[in-house]
This record gives sequence, structure tokens and C-alpha cells, in this order.
Amino acid sequence: MEKGTGGGAPTKSTMNVLLYMPPSLRERRRYLLFEVMCERELDKRDLLKEIWDSIYSLYGDVGGGEIKLRLIEYHNREERKSGVGILRCTHDKVEEVRASLACIHSVNGARVGIRVIKISGTIKGATRLRR
Amino acid sequence: MPNFFDLNVHAYPETEAPIEELLRVAKRYGYAGIAITNHDESVKERLNSNFIITGVEIRANSVLELKRKVTLHWGKVPLLAVHGSDDKLNRAAVEDSRVDILAHPCGEKGEGELNHVSVRYAAANGVAIDFNLGALIHNRRSERARILDKMRETLKLVRKYNTPMILTSNAHSIYDLRAPQEMIALAALFGMSKEEATSALCDIPQGILEKRWKKEREVELLRRVP
Repeated sequence: MEKGTGGGAPTKSTMNVLLYMPPSLRERRRYLLFEVMCERELDKRDLLKEIWDSIYSLYGDVGGGEIKLRLIEYHNREERKSGVGILRCTHDKVEEVRASLACIHSVNGARVGIRVIKISGTIKGATRLRR
Repeated sequence: MPNFFDLNVHAYPETEAPIEELLRVAKRYGYAGIAITNHDESVKERLNSNFIITGVEIRANSVLELKRKVTLHWGKVPLLAVHGSDDKLNRAAVEDSRVDILAHPCGEKGEGELNHVSVRYAAANGVAIDFNLGALIHNRRSERARILDKMRETLKLVRKYNTPMILTSNAHSIYDLRAPQEMIALAALFGMSKEEATSALCDIPQGILEKRWKKEREVELLRRVP
């Protein structure tokens, strides 16, 4: 590993190091652990489409781009009619994402209610159990 | 942790949502209480829980009918709300100090709104103005833009006259309920600050239930009612 990846033209030996963004340039992110109450099991793709629809409807294309949303994971819970998932967004757009999630009332015809359980800077922090 | 309240929820028999289900979900979301305000009829069954507040939402077509129904229900339920509709009825509701809440007056159904005179009366008579966030959840595009505009206008007046305001979900099923933090995020869409929204979910509902903004005489009269 070579130091000083920040300045100068990349030499051959620094190329593999450059593939990673230096920590100082990285986006600050927030991971949102959310819970969905739903009438029936949801498809991950349908849910993501509905989240995007809601964001576009509230904030438009420009605002939607600034949020930088990714759905990291979603799965339905077995025992009850609910599911949990993790979303990623930039650190200063958490309230916007929260409002967009709250505005979703149905996914593919099934009524849903979404709430954010936890917000963290890392996936590990978001999934860590309380207590 | 503050005590959050949602003072406008519709339950069985008006809707298909049983009270027990609503109670379970609202507790999970972190509420300290929800008020069941079915139209023109208070819930008959008694639950051994402080969590559920029995209320009634009066729907009327004329001012006379409104007055009659207010007289009928006043003193029998701890929470008296009026279904906001056209200008005349909204005005009549805020002029009556027996009313606790004017529910969804911001033109959600495309009719009526509040002007500065009504909001001033509401402040004087201790009638809380309700911002119905369910309308923001269930409408899209131009309709939602219109509602947000109306809410912004109303918020301006409410701030000016220092009228009590509350945030409610107007839920008809367990899927319409939203957690307090989500309600605060939704309120930010029409310019309500976080502090205002928090007090509209905690302090003010509590004050309404304690009849904090009512004049002494009214509260005294209410105590005398069996």
C-alpha cells in the first residue's frame, strides 16, 4: 500500500488503491431501518418503485436525485403481516425520506403503513438490536 | 419521551378497523393515547384502558342541525369534534365554545376554508384547529398541492392568533396510522417547524383533554353534568 493517493497523477502502483474513494471525499450517508405493515406480502421491486414514486411526487426529479436513495435490503416477516428493510440516503435528507415513506398508502393494491425505526451512520448500527 | 396523541381516528362500526387492532398498532408506534371519533356516534363498548379516549365527530348540513347535535353530545363524551365542511358551518363551530376540535377544516374535500375571523374566534373559544395529515397521504399531485397551500395559509393565521392546533391522521384503518416522527416529517411539508409539530402532538392534545383553553364557567358546567 502506498501513501499519498490524493495528489499527482496516478502511477501504476497506486491504481488499485485509487479504486476506493478516500474517506474525506466520501458521501456522508444515513441508513434507515424501516418497518412496513402490509395487508399481504410485498415484492421488493414493487416497494422500491412505490418509494420512488412518492419521492418524485413530493420533491420532483431534482430533489429525488439529491436524496441518493438506495434500497439495501427488504424482507417480509414470517409470523405477521409486516416486513423490515434498510434504505440508504444522504445524511441531510433523512426528514425528506421520512415524509416520502409516510406518504405511501398502498403498494400494488395492498394497503401499507411505513415507519422508520432507527437511523444510523452504518448498516451495522442500524441493524444492531436495542438493549 | 413526550406523550403523543392522535385525536381523530375512526373505528368499528363506522369503519372495518376494530379498536383492539388500532390500540395495538398505536401503542407500537409510541402513542400515549388515541381518540376514537366516529361520526355522530360515540363508541358504545367500554374498554378498561386509559389509552382510548371516546369522542364524537359531529357532521351536520346546517347550522341549526350542528347546534342541536352539539347540545345532544356535550357533556356525554370527553371530546367533541366537528366535521369541517363549508365556511358557514366552520364559522358556527368555532363560535361555539363547547366544541373541542374543528376537524379537517383546510378544504380537504374541496370545500370551505378558514378565514382570519374564524381563526380568531377559535382562539377565543378554545377550539383547536386540526391539520389532517391523512389528506396528504391519500392525495397526489394537484389535489395535494392545493391542500398543502390551504394548510400553509391556515398555519399562518393560527400562528398569528395563537390558536391551539393539532395534527391528526384521520385514520380509517390501521394502515392509515403513522408514527409521531412521521407525522412531524409530514407537517414539515407545509412549513410547520419541528417544535410546533411536537407540541401539536403532545402538549396541545393534552390541554384539549384537560379543557385548558376553556373558560372557567364552561368547565364548571361540564363537571356538573353526570
